[in-house]
Amino acid sequence: MMEKMSEENIEEVKVLEAQIEHLQAEVAALQRQQQDNHKVITFNFRGQMQHAVSYMCGQRQGGGKEEVLSKLKEEVEELEEDLKQQTQMNGISLTRCTTKTLQSSDRKQVQQFCVSGHCTELVFQVEFQLSEVKQDGEASERTISDLNVVMDASDLQTFSGFLSGVEESRDLLLFFRTLRAFADRCDDRRRTFQHFQEKYPSVVSLPAGCRAEVMTLNHRELPGCVLFVHWSVEVCREGGVTPKIQLLTKIPERALQLFPSQAVGGAAEAFQSLLRILGPEAALESVIMAVSLPQDT
Amino acid sequence: MEGSSTKGVLSHLSLLEVQTRSRKARAQQPSRVKELQKKAEALLAQRDQLKAEIQTHKDLQKLRASLDKQHEEEEEEEEEEEEEEEEMNEDSENSQLLRLMAKQTQLKDLLHAHHISGGYNVTKTSQGKGVCVSVVTAYEGVFLETYNLELDLKPRLRVGRHNVPPFIPLTRLVEQSGMQTDIRTLLDPLSQHLNAFAGRKQQLKLVKELHKSVEVLESNVLCSLLVLMFTLPAEKAVVLCSLDYTDHTRSLPTRLHFECGEKELLDSPAWKRSRSLLQETPVHKALTTMREMGNIV
Repeated sequence: MMEKMSEENIEEVKVLEAQIEHLQAEVAALQRQQQDNHKVITFNFRGQMQHAVSYMCGQRQGGGKEEVLSKLKEEVEELEEDLKQQTQMNGISLTRCTTKTLQSSDRKQVQQFCVSGHCTELVFQVEFQLSEVKQDGEASERTISDLNVVMDASDLQTFSGFLSGVEESRDLLLFFRTLRAFADRCDDRRRTFQHFQEKYPSVVSLPAGCRAEVMTLNHRELPGCVLFVHWSVEVCREGGVTPKIQLLTKIPERALQLFPSQAVGGAAEAFQSLLRILGPEAALESVIMAVSLPQDT
Repeated sequence: MEGSSTKGVLSHLSLLEVQTRSRKARAQQPSRVKELQKKAEALLAQRDQLKAEIQTHKDLQKLRASLDKQHEEEEEEEEEEEEEEEEMNEDSENSQLLRLMAKQTQLKDLLHAHHISGGYNVTKTSQGKGVCVSVVTAYEGVFLETYNLELDLKPRLRVGRHNVPPFIPLTRLVEQSGMQTDIRTLLDPLSQHLNAFAGRKQQLKLVKELHKSVEVLESNVLCSLLVLMFTLPAEKAVVLCSLDYTDHTRSLPTRLHFECGEKELLDSPAWKRSRSLLQETPVHKALTTMREMGNIV
């Protein structure tokens, strides 16, 4: 009797051990699959998400579906509020962010980020790696590497020198701070151009749209004479943003010969001193007035 | 009789021993079975959890892709957000939960991206009367100190408690800003000051770490003044180099001064190149190049 019992136990132990071995292999395979999945895209199952995942896997203790749903909904609403506030504070709209986990161990984690968004009208896409290394007794050290910035081709001209510097120094914060300043200065230009086009529609035209760098001034009765206002926003390598406004003239050679006036020939230089004294809006307005005056008299 | 009784006691003892042993074995075996069963159960639960996570990951990945696309389109059209009425034929029981989960991951990722790249992280303060803004600093991709400001919102925007170092002119920046209408007119210059300071401090740290032969004779808390002593390779001469960072919003020096017993040495092309290197590149990098050129030990 006793013999038989222990034999049964031995049988049972063997079956269980085989089962465990099988399960261990299965778990290891699933863990590998999960890691591979995280290389494609990473989701963090934390907080309410953990409950939701547990619910999905059938562990339905502690509250039913309604509770899981309502708690997650609450969290989503809170996150939406946070995102709104954060977007306003940073002055940047992010439209997409995906994360991949390239490397993960107890001490070190490397994630690849792909972020796209826009700052007013300027569209950007930024890719970088973020590595976090745990340090004993200190906050973990976070480092950005492999920074790559892609921007719309039309904005590249003034930005390209700055961008390559930013990529080299991996200065993500500087990039966004400069992008914001650049966008703000471009907005100033758009507002001013639009304002003058609405106020003086017969003289002012914006051949490439209100976001472009050029505004042309032309009197109807003098089709050959055109003044160009070239307003660019310069970005230096260190991230300084400065507007640069120039007045260019296109006046027929013959007209210049007939009227060798200082006012026309030296317009470009005169405009620069006007800018210094009056500032961009008033300086431009006075030039526009000068062009449109003959029409009224 | 005595002998037999002795024998009897011994044999009785040995019988007892055998009995105890077998009882022990019998007691041990069921506990081993229990142990294994427990282990198998734990593994089974782990496997199911992993399977559920992988399945959820798969579902989420699909949902996120469509959600991201939808989000971008909404941004483009600037339309009001609509409740997505996408058909989810399979497993409609959990589709609502899954959709919420996908939304949660999207919001979490976007917020995370804001926190890494935006520079200003907002959290509500416990009293709920204001917000706390963290200004992040980083240099060459390495995240450094974070400074916190409490902003009281009532009755008008005001900076409350903060841990900005006293040598950063916060009061002046507040006065110069138009923070009542746009908080970034305060945060941008402040971030510029703090990041430039963090950059200079980090450069000094790197000089000490990477260039043991260069002696740091003088530096200040703001890291706006740096006096270094170089030893020249051939002669036993030394050169004193003072770097002056008058513009506190930059991490490159505005003035540079060499001092050396042999004046003509400093007029050599190599030292002229050193001069421009030190003015245009971060000091630790300039020193590396100078050492490679053979200017300093």
